[in-house]
Amino acid sequence: MWNSERGCEAPKRGTISKKGRAARLGTAFRALIALSAARELQYRANFFASFLGAAFWLLMAVFTVSIFYEHTEVVGGWSFWEAAVLLGVFNALVGVVEGVLRPGIGSLPDEIRHGSLDLLLLRPIDAQLYLTFQEVDLWRIADVITGFALSAYALHHLGRTPSVGEVALFLVTFLAAVAILYGVWLTLMSLSFWFVAVENLSTVFDAVFEAARYPASAYPSALRLVFLFVLPIVWTTTIPASALVGRLSMSVAAGCLFIAAATLIISRAVWRLALRRYTSAGG
Amino acid sequence: MTAVAVWSKRYGAFIRSAWMVDIQYRADIALWLLWGITEPAIALGIWWTVAGGGDVDGYTRVSFARYFFGVTLINQLTQAWDAWYIDHWIAEGEMNHRLLRPIAPVHEAIADNIAYKARVGTIVIIVWLLTAAVWPIVRLPVAPERWVLAAVAVVLGAGIRFFNGFAVGLLAFWTTRASDIIELQMAIGVFLSGQLAPLDLLPHWVASVASALWFPYAIAFPVSLLTGTGGWEHHIVQGFVGQLAWLIAWWLLYRFIWRNGRKEYGAVGG
Amino acid sequence: MGLYVHRPMISATQLSKHYRVKVRDSGIGGALRAIVAPRYEDVVAVDNLTFSIDRGEVVAFLGPNGAGKTTTLKMITGLLYPTSGKIEVAGVNPWTAGSAFKSRLALVFGNKQQLLWDLPVDETFRLNRAIYSIPDTIYNEQRAELIELLELEELLDRPVRNLSLGERMKCELAAALLHRPELVLLDEPTLGLDVNAQDAVRGFLNEYGTRHTATILLTSHYMADVTALAKRVIMIDRGRLIYDGSLQGLVERTVPIKRIEVTLTPNATFDSIARFGEVKRFQYPHAVIEVPRAEAPEASARILMSGVIADLSIQDPPIEEVIRQVFARDSRAGRDGGAE
Repeated sequence: MWNSERGCEAPKRGTISKKGRAARLGTAFRALIALSAARELQYRANFFASFLGAAFWLLMAVFTVSIFYEHTEVVGGWSFWEAAVLLGVFNALVGVVEGVLRPGIGSLPDEIRHGSLDLLLLRPIDAQLYLTFQEVDLWRIADVITGFALSAYALHHLGRTPSVGEVALFLVTFLAAVAILYGVWLTLMSLSFWFVAVENLSTVFDAVFEAARYPASAYPSALRLVFLFVLPIVWTTTIPASALVGRLSMSVAAGCLFIAAATLIISRAVWRLALRRYTSAGG
Repeated sequence: MTAVAVWSKRYGAFIRSAWMVDIQYRADIALWLLWGITEPAIALGIWWTVAGGGDVDGYTRVSFARYFFGVTLINQLTQAWDAWYIDHWIAEGEMNHRLLRPIAPVHEAIADNIAYKARVGTIVIIVWLLTAAVWPIVRLPVAPERWVLAAVAVVLGAGIRFFNGFAVGLLAFWTTRASDIIELQMAIGVFLSGQLAPLDLLPHWVASVASALWFPYAIAFPVSLLTGTGGWEHHIVQGFVGQLAWLIAWWLLYRFIWRNGRKEYGAVGG
Repeated sequence: MGLYVHRPMISATQLSKHYRVKVRDSGIGGALRAIVAPRYEDVVAVDNLTFSIDRGEVVAFLGPNGAGKTTTLKMITGLLYPTSGKIEVAGVNPWTAGSAFKSRLALVFGNKQQLLWDLPVDETFRLNRAIYSIPDTIYNEQRAELIELLELEELLDRPVRNLSLGERMKCELAAALLHRPELVLLDEPTLGLDVNAQDAVRGFLNEYGTRHTATILLTSHYMADVTALAKRVIMIDRGRLIYDGSLQGLVERTVPIKRIEVTLTPNATFDSIARFGEVKRFQYPHAVIEVPRAEAPEASARILMSGVIADLSIQDPPIEEVIRQVFARDSRAGRDGGAE
């Protein structure tokens, strides 16, 4: 990979075949996950603690939502069990954020500050990919599992079995939601190349994302517009949950997919811009 | 120098240092303030929708708006983070030099709180005033007597939360999980202190549990005095008596845990 | 006519400190066992120390890492209480002593700082002034003196985080001494400092000790600290006191030799000096010969008269060598002697 005649230079993309590159990425991905798994499985006590903890906090969240429903059958058009479906989706997304996003690209400000980013950039794998998966917290899968369990249970309570199409739509929009959150995180973290104090921006994300516990229609219309244009992350729970409870129109779903794609493309561009600036500035 | 002079100078010096450090961490404080605002804002948003054009058990949109603005302010003025500091001090070996001072570490913590709350409280008040300028609903009726009573209640409420937080934080002398305990308490406190909803609107059993504990006296009571809504505005005497009782209770608990924690520290070091 | 009772500043009598540490086995079985039926192990940090330090003395506690030096300091200041034995400082029991006692001492850690990180140095001074309720006259005098001795004038307005390690240590010292404590304890004060800073700290402590008759205790594993500062050394290894006395006495007792360093003339050979003693080093034109301490003067005279040397100087063996030998001896004794 390192061409000794040219000295230390980043490997040119075209030097490996496409198939080889994909295989390489696959191997690297598997290796990283395996490393995380090996690390965490050492602490078997974590297993029980994670699930117990996840279940407890989820119950607290359900209880919180139920307070509102003591006084009304429907909030923003959503019944209690429908809202519970959404809460399950929220929990699952939090699991993804805490399990993958925060330990991965969320560590970027720290890496920059401690200089370990340079080491990362030397690796023959795309830096963004490596950064994303280098530190996966597998125990947060407990949040994903308990979240989906809650959604399933809530659907059962509604006497509703989603059709295959609806489940497919849910999975697609869920992944789109993950993509949007990923893109937002990547963009936020890329800012740390320009501003050092950005690590606290993840605090902003957390605070705002809390609003996604409830369906977007539960909020006053003025706020809903703000969410749509300024803070789209608040819609990331509403849309997949809508698929499960049968409220999702195809146009909204398509819009969601479009936004997900756009987010990924834009955030990748921001990332590459930031990286180029970083490497050209000499770190 | 008299004792009063000595202690005034000590507190003055601590407050001054804490204030100057806070200035440096402006950005951090601003972000934490964001949390302090979004949580009540979300609750208000939902209740606003639920109330619709009418009311929920007597709470109209206007009541909710005033209530949650009050919660935002009072929460900022009473919340206590000292449990995390104590944890940090012990873990990093910074407890030693604090124990060697001729004054107990609790004083530094109190002074720190005063500086922090003065700063953050001012910001929230300004935001409230600005909002009130464009949104008449959140304007409070002018009632200086009420405001004075509310101020006293806020100080007492802050004292309760401080000694509660500090006492639980001192469990760090025995366990590394003290901040987990505090986190759990804070989560439960969201319900029981009236931050999610006025206690009237909670299920009866929850409201009963809350009244038996100190949580409402820290937030719901001062908020009621200030905004005229929240369920405690007609229980002024009961409120103040309860506040004093819980303040003394947590202060005594702090003293007890401190004495024993100090002994534990002297046995096992840090 | 009254009876004068000599009361030392610090008096330790069979001072011991044991810790009960939970033994945790690995694996999930071990974790469960630790909760249900915990096993404890007794760790001895300080073992039967007896010593007495008078007012105004400068004493160095020397010993390898983990020897128990810091634990001893913590018991002297009342941070920890002894498991057995007795410690008395300025006539009181430090563990039960009140704020008046605390106002008379200062403990400076080489690896933990007490200065306010984000603020100018002077702000910490102001804070300490208020904490210790230092009267104006004393504060102004002390502050001026410390600024002068430690050369802090330019550092006062700078935030602590912008200072180098050496500058920070000097400021730490100043901040700790503003209240003019009678008892000054320093835990590894020169740790991590560059040579200049180390010299500055040692020089300062010497001067301060002289001016204020302060009792100064320091722990260190740097021999240079000891040679520069302390006339008296207390050596601790694995919690036990293995030597208490002057440094000179230690050298003489441990390694009873003298090193004669010579510069040879062109006509000198290895054998021509080997007859005077054990040749430790021979690298023309320099050589080092070791002779028994008592014979050193006579041997030197003979060497001088032998005509093979151009220059000569008599040295004690390097302190490091002495210390190493003391600890080696002690650990050998521990190994052979048995019971731990």
